[in-house]
Amino acid sequence: MAANQIAAANLADPPPFPPGPMIRIQDVSVQYGSSGTLKKILSGINLDIRPGEFVAVVGQTGCGKSTLLRLVLAEEMPGSGQVLVEGVVRIQPDRHCGYVPQKYSLFPDRTVLENITFGPEVTEIGWLGGLLPSRRARRREFQAEALGYLRRMGLRESDAAKYPQQLSGGMQQRVAIAQALIMRPRILLMDEAFSALDPGTRIGMQRLIKALWRETGSTILFVTHNPREAVILATRVIALGRPENSEEGAAVVLDITVPDTIDERMADALIRRVEESAYPHGFREGDAASAEV
Amino acid sequence: MSVLRIHPQPGRGTVSALSWFLFGAGAIAYFWVSGNRHRDNPDDRVMPTLSQMGQAFANAALKPAEDDEAAGADRRPISARLVRSMLWQDTLATGRRFLISLGLLFPAVLLGLHMGMFPYAGAFFLRFVLFFDKIVALSLLPILFIAFGIDELAKVMLIAIGVAPTIILDAFNLTRGVPREQIVKGFTLGAGDFSVTYRIVLKQIRPRVLNSIRLNLKAVMLFLFAGEMIASTDGLAYRIALLRRHMGMDTIIPYVLWVALLLFLVDLSIRLLNRKLHPWFQEA
Repeated sequence: MAANQIAAANLADPPPFPPGPMIRIQDVSVQYGSSGTLKKILSGINLDIRPGEFVAVVGQTGCGKSTLLRLVLAEEMPGSGQVLVEGVVRIQPDRHCGYVPQKYSLFPDRTVLENITFGPEVTEIGWLGGLLPSRRARRREFQAEALGYLRRMGLRESDAAKYPQQLSGGMQQRVAIAQALIMRPRILLMDEAFSALDPGTRIGMQRLIKALWRETGSTILFVTHNPREAVILATRVIALGRPENSEEGAAVVLDITVPDTIDERMADALIRRVEESAYPHGFREGDAASAEV
Repeated sequence: MSVLRIHPQPGRGTVSALSWFLFGAGAIAYFWVSGNRHRDNPDDRVMPTLSQMGQAFANAALKPAEDDEAAGADRRPISARLVRSMLWQDTLATGRRFLISLGLLFPAVLLGLHMGMFPYAGAFFLRFVLFFDKIVALSLLPILFIAFGIDELAKVMLIAIGVAPTIILDAFNLTRGVPREQIVKGFTLGAGDFSVTYRIVLKQIRPRVLNSIRLNLKAVMLFLFAGEMIASTDGLAYRIALLRRHMGMDTIIPYVLWVALLLFLVDLSIRLLNRKLHPWFQEA
């Protein structure tokens, strides 16, 4: 499927985006626990993410990368400060953001096709709408579109009738991306979406997501612990970290733009910079081995 | 010795033979002791022989209860005799109560689901259900009989009070066990709160809830039997209690086996239904 076909999705176009950043994170702090056991996760985060940016967030385990993503998703509320998505403070996750988690990304009780069409059906057809002939026709349209996405993700039509547990991890993540993209979200949030994949599959998925980003022009917030993956994929890399022995939460320690065209030497230099900022005690090379340069 | 090791994989034949061994041994032991007792005392009523039990079961299955006996009943066709028989009437009475009780468990599942999904509902009900779960249901029997009389309602209420808290808590825990990612995913795909609850979470917990109900069938039957034995004029447990007064072991034992068979069939039906309705579900 070509770029124009992705854009020709069946769902109604979202309203035009208001001017300003797509995501604005203003002086956000997050802490868990009560006064005795207070644990600060994030401190004073300020970020503006513009429409169409591909932003990778890197940092050590437990530095608050996923918390940051949950804040954007409105799955979690900040202790102080505010998060604006498309200019609005959201109070719970909604269809403005597509979401691809590392695990449990598909509904196990639905086939691949049903997983992909779930969003359009729940949005347009509703509870008993499937009984109406006009809606049944609409359902067939969604199914045809879902099959198109399936092919675009490199899966066969025969996979459509399979249940998620009958697919490999890589295939499941491809379906999860199709499931999110069919809703045409302007923001796609990916939380370590490729972490559980083997190196070969991971490289294939990286190519796919980069191509889809170019086709759809979505804003992508991509959480990863892998600096190499971040530099290779993203147009902007944000590293979170906290000073040693500090009680403070993590803050943005690096915010760099990755040039459109990048050679191997420049990529290595950027990766080293990200590693030094996000992993001051050293980054295990094995973690980066599966990223493609 | 390989039988004391955890690594060996016994063959299918061995597994089958081992699994039936205790049944066979139990039956042989029973009939051996029964035979000895009958040689010593031909009128022994404690351990009836196979033929005595067969005769008693045939009577129960083909003859009406003694208080319902009508002249000329033996001349009726076998199907009519079966329908009017003591066994069938008792099974029907117990089955009706059993199905009503199972039906009452569905609101319990929905309550558990909502408690797990909606924090305010959870806060409102959880402590109360946890408290109720700790009450020994049988200790409530006198209260139920005083409050609801000795009719059907008291027996059904006994089952509801005895089993519903367990099912509510099971459904609650299963709901809470659905990965948060699934719920968030549902919202991001445009589902509202109730769509997420019914179309994502309920669908996912349904096979496990059915399993939970299946595992609680014995508890349902236990409370039903307690109610029937104390205050009833029909039903399988009523009959067993009645026959106990006359030392009717030749009927009691087949009745007990009949109840076990029925429960096994209900259990099997639910398992098959579960497999049919939820082909994606893989039991652990």
